[in-house]
Amino acid sequence: MPDLVAALEMLRTPFHAGDQPTFLSDLTVGELVLLEEVDYRPVEIVSGAGSASWYPQFTTAGTEAQMWGGAIASAINSAREGIRSEVNRRGADGVVAMRLELEREPVNQLTCTMLGTAVRVEHRSGHHSAKGGEPFTTTLSARDFHLLARAGYRAAGIVLGVSVVGFAARSASQSLGISRDNVELEGQTNALYSAREQAMAMMEREAASLKADGVVAVELSERPFNTMLTHAVELLAIGTAVYRGRDGHRSLGPQLQLDLDDPVAETFTSG
Amino acid sequence: MVDQSPGPGTGAFQAVERVRRTPTSDLSVAEAAALRRVGLSPVGFVMGTAVMQLVSAYAGTSYGGMGIAGGMGLGGGMPWGGFLSSARSSGLYAESYPCVHGYGFGANADHYGFSVENTALGSSLFEGYRLALSRLEDEAIALGAHGVVGVKLHFEHMVGSAGTATFFATGTAVIHPSSEPLPTPFLTNASGQNFERLISLGFIAAGLAMGIGVVYVQPNCLARGSLTAVGANNQIPAAIGAARGRARQALAGTGHKLGEGVVHTEWSDRRFVRMGESWNQLALAFGTAVRRYTTEMQPSMTRAVVPLRP
Repeated sequence: MPDLVAALEMLRTPFHAGDQPTFLSDLTVGELVLLEEVDYRPVEIVSGAGSASWYPQFTTAGTEAQMWGGAIASAINSAREGIRSEVNRRGADGVVAMRLELEREPVNQLTCTMLGTAVRVEHRSGHHSAKGGEPFTTTLSARDFHLLARAGYRAAGIVLGVSVVGFAARSASQSLGISRDNVELEGQTNALYSAREQAMAMMEREAASLKADGVVAVELSERPFNTMLTHAVELLAIGTAVYRGRDGHRSLGPQLQLDLDDPVAETFTSG
Repeated sequence: MVDQSPGPGTGAFQAVERVRRTPTSDLSVAEAAALRRVGLSPVGFVMGTAVMQLVSAYAGTSYGGMGIAGGMGLGGGMPWGGFLSSARSSGLYAESYPCVHGYGFGANADHYGFSVENTALGSSLFEGYRLALSRLEDEAIALGAHGVVGVKLHFEHMVGSAGTATFFATGTAVIHPSSEPLPTPFLTNASGQNFERLISLGFIAAGLAMGIGVVYVQPNCLARGSLTAVGANNQIPAAIGAARGRARQALAGTGHKLGEGVVHTEWSDRRFVRMGESWNQLALAFGTAVRRYTTEMQPSMTRAVVPLRP
């Protein structure tokens, strides 16, 4: 049973820091409980960062802008490599609930940062599990990671796909807003499809290279870029590659829950 | 009534007298219920503030020990290489990223790209937060509280006052009615529900751990996103890494004195106090240091539910 009196008693004596390392975590206590339930314990906060710039002009219609897409991939990859090497240095098994942020500044530069809590598998008996293979990275929240583990899966790592495809400039009348027809801008639609296809294919290649069984929680972001000299669409896909465990999928057997609480009636409505 | 007391922060005692008469709290009903379940009662909303004039990056007086640069250094009176090596010899992070075009106009090419740790700004921010937190703690002590839960920290710039920052620390003081007061009350940024979970897991909040890292970045052409030089740059990632590394080191250092670990770390990275094309890369980290009071608590497996929503 929780015992506040015993806990407060402990605070009456000063803490003597021994030689043991201090664990650091950016997870809430609730998230730590969820990780503890599936035998993961926090080790330290780890981070990685990468940054690259590119020439944004002179994109060719219907053609992939290799250098532009390559620069974005290189910034994200550097951050991923950086955080993995920090996890490795601490002898941890992976990093969960990783914050992945993309900062664009100025128009032709992207900085990617990652930050999360490195965790180690520690069975209830107190023994560390034998560390298997490369450390994993995932942007899945502690809650989703907990569900994934209970359902019999393991995270393999974040995988990314990026593609930038150019499209033709609009006609003069379209650009000036005096177009007389309502037509599809086929070049732009096709560029979007092409970018999506190439980005997803790249992400799947990355997952295949990890021998993963699939990719979950994929986030797609699309950014059209249309200026005097540049007409291109950027497509970025990031997800977590996962392995299915030897025993396959395990059902969590969730129970249906009927909430008996009524929503609080609004006394004052706006205005 | 306007407080006429002489020292800064002494207005707090007026607040304490008021709270004694009518206990207040910024807890939600669910948070208060969670704290009641573990035996704690809210005793008053507590706050600590400090309005600070931050040190100017251009007004530092020493090269390595305290500031990022003296006026002499930035004015060009001292070679950049000497300035960076001076910072390095003081144990600070300092790296030069010479211009890829080789511009230098006869002077040291380091001018066109360098990063150096800004301990002057870092310690200014640390001092602001420290003052706000110590005033919050004083209010809690005056109320005879055992701790303060849900501590929130933030700072804001005063409109029209360049280089100033107002630091706030707020939270709800709590008491365990049948226990003697602690030598110093515990502070935690955990909510009432998370405090309950912490106790259930066998841990008690021992205090707040804090870490701040600041690196001044003067980008070279590559890191500036100039169209004349493109590609991967290492200056920005290295500056972010150094600022985060320093914040993490300080967080672990303060946490290590208080308990076995630090949880619930709130992390913030930002570009702070921009000056033209340069900026201060700031990393801020606050968390709750925890001590394990029992090893007998084992979490029971969470029950999976699907809410039936209309």
